[in-house]
Amino acid sequence: MWLTNLKIGILGLAVIAFYTAVAHVIPQLESEVPQDLALGSDVTVDELIAAGEGVFTGAGICTTCHGLGTRAPNLRTDHAGLGTIGARCVAAFGSDCRTYLYTSLTNPGDSIVPGFENIMPNMGQQLPQDQVWAVIAYLQSLGGEVTVTAADLSQESADLAAAPAAAAPVAARTETMDPRELLTEKTCTVCHVIDGAGPPIGPPFDGIGSRLTAEKIRQSILDPNGEVTEGYEQFAGTMPATFGQQLSAAQLEAIVQFLAARK
Amino acid sequence: MMTNALSLAQTVADTAGAYGHFPGIGARGAVWIAAEVHLMFAAFVLGVPMFAVITELIGIVGKDSKYDRLSKEFTRLLVFAYSATALWGAVLVFFLTTLYPRFWGHMAQIFGLSMWIYVGLFFVESFTLYMYYYGWERWKAGRAKWMHWGLGVLLNVWGTAVMFIANGWLTYMMSPPEGVTAETLPAEVGLWNALANATWMPINIHRLIANAVFGGSIVAAYAAYRFLAARTDEERAHYDWMGYVGNFIAISTFIVLPFAGYWLGREIYEYNQQMGITMMGGFMSWLWIVQAVLIGILFLAANYYLWIGMARIPGAERFMPYTKWMLLILVIGWIVWSTPHTMIASREEMAAMGGSHHPFLSVLGVMSAKNTAVNIMILTTFLSFLLYRRANKEPTVDWAKTGTLVEGIMLALAAGVVVFYGVLGYFVEASVRIGFSVYQVLAVLACILFVTVTDLSLLRGAKSRGAIRWGQMPARSQYALFVLAVTFTWLMGLMGFARSGIRQHWHVWGVIRDTSEFAATPALGYAANMISVCVLVFLTLVAFIFWLGGLAERVVTKPATAGGS
Repeated sequence: MWLTNLKIGILGLAVIAFYTAVAHVIPQLESEVPQDLALGSDVTVDELIAAGEGVFTGAGICTTCHGLGTRAPNLRTDHAGLGTIGARCVAAFGSDCRTYLYTSLTNPGDSIVPGFENIMPNMGQQLPQDQVWAVIAYLQSLGGEVTVTAADLSQESADLAAAPAAAAPVAARTETMDPRELLTEKTCTVCHVIDGAGPPIGPPFDGIGSRLTAEKIRQSILDPNGEVTEGYEQFAGTMPATFGQQLSAAQLEAIVQFLAARK
Repeated sequence: MMTNALSLAQTVADTAGAYGHFPGIGARGAVWIAAEVHLMFAAFVLGVPMFAVITELIGIVGKDSKYDRLSKEFTRLLVFAYSATALWGAVLVFFLTTLYPRFWGHMAQIFGLSMWIYVGLFFVESFTLYMYYYGWERWKAGRAKWMHWGLGVLLNVWGTAVMFIANGWLTYMMSPPEGVTAETLPAEVGLWNALANATWMPINIHRLIANAVFGGSIVAAYAAYRFLAARTDEERAHYDWMGYVGNFIAISTFIVLPFAGYWLGREIYEYNQQMGITMMGGFMSWLWIVQAVLIGILFLAANYYLWIGMARIPGAERFMPYTKWMLLILVIGWIVWSTPHTMIASREEMAAMGGSHHPFLSVLGVMSAKNTAVNIMILTTFLSFLLYRRANKEPTVDWAKTGTLVEGIMLALAAGVVVFYGVLGYFVEASVRIGFSVYQVLAVLACILFVTVTDLSLLRGAKSRGAIRWGQMPARSQYALFVLAVTFTWLMGLMGFARSGIRQHWHVWGVIRDTSEFAATPALGYAANMISVCVLVFLTLVAFIFWLGGLAERVVTKPATAGGS
């Protein structure tokens, strides 16, 4: 009988081990607890965007529906051929984009996109106010211009009505949206070859679109020392890590798309 | 803003004295194990009395003593399991009191009266059980036997009442009544209002059915153990039959469990969309893939057991060629059901796939395909039972051929409806598609009911092709019963995690926030480790109980008669 007992024991353990293994090989997603962001009055646009992305993909669980294209409109990728949310929000609402996004988050029932159901919870009740604004900044950065400022972080809808969207345009540092002008103005061409001209201190812009995706280009601009291109190790640390502050989200996006197209 | 401020204030206030420390696995781990193991034993001691009284009734009405013996043997397991349930219940309460004092204080203030009633009912239930078991031989004939059966019914009544009360507490944590907020004082919450919350009755019904499923599978495993340990053919025949009955109860009640699950899921969605989405499409969405893997194995093991069992039934050989096709259907259904809806993909991968859905997954991983797969698997399993049941019978009614044809048409119709709505689901809006699952479920349920009634009439007075050779089962069939028991137990742990995890970082959803170091709901890998620990603890204790069951009494058995199923 001891052999039978042993067989039963081994079978039981094997079945348990199999189920445990199955649960381990699938994606490991943890439900995070909303954290206080502690964004101060000196918060930069980059910090706001980064914080917003963290909330969007983390505690806000926004990606559960936005991104699959079935429950809710895609926000980070194209939806209905209108581009990412920042771009289509500006296209549809202009300077009221900020108000629209705030309303969509805090009173989603009033902003249902045709073809979708009213299933979104009021994020104003799910997240602290500063996190709501951080998410708006992040959404604006996806192809639009970030107009959220530190002054908004404690602002509720009533205040918003009194302070229209156009307030505090973060991107007022420079007017141009032309990527070529921007590359020159921001001294990028001092180190990067473009159209066969310029010193090869950094990786050339020519053909960059075939080497890097738009996302990688964006990441390289915002965090140039995060991942140094092979062959350019001796120049690591040369490129300033301040372009996130120097560029508006729309300008950054214009440069990214321009470079990504250079194949 | 006000809510956020209060939430923050609460967080600060809660940092002191709200939580205790447990070495090694932490407070959450300790409560997790105590609650889950307690729940597993509770499910067993609530499930077994249900079919103990049914088999006793069959024995009384049919004047067949083997059913009475079976019922008593079921109940003997209860006596041992009952003390284990109480023991783990006490451990759970002590852990909650010492590790989550503030939360438990909140619950006690609202549910204090119901806790006293619970304890009172527990006493009554215990004494009823002891009278039921120890009075078996004394009250075995005439009116006394009916009185004894009445005790069994009462045992079920008390047990169900106890479960309903406890369900009120846990469902309050999931779905506190509207109007109860973080600012509400516990004294302001009405007891009945808190108990009868949105998910209370769906959980009650779901657990009632699940307990029968679970009890049946554990009893079948017990029978399998005794079968393998049997020294005589008589013993082997008895435990072979007992294993069959346990498995039959587990699988036949399991087939209706998804319908109770649908109801519970719908109530969760209606209570709070976000909670529903978190459960089905949020960080828990992959849990349902694991669930599909488990349930696929349940279907395969249950059918495998039946098909092997047909080898001991004279006349079953004429149905054996069909089993390979049924196996094929089950495997295909399992693959479809286990296909994930979406993949975690980077933007580059999404671009390469042409969207967030992989083209292959977007066809098989959607609810239309999954609902179709699971309903076809249910119909296939039902067909296995039908063939098993008919194996050694020769209908004598003059409408036998017509009846069989009608049964076949009903099965084909049900399968047709399931497939039709499954395919149509690809061409309609999501809001319309959701309603299709109801038609599919209704078609399958109607088919099962209609065919069962027809089959009972059709086989009344049927000629026997020979008696079932109880006991002549290969040992591997019994291992299938062990797989079923382990899988059901693990599945119970998984579903417990799903139900509890959708509260996320709330002890009581929207009312008491979890501010402990364990507030984040863990990923499935960690949860699986905890579930496996709980299952191991439970099964080790159950093995001890089985051993005790063998020590307590050596049952005098005799081979069951043909058609005893």
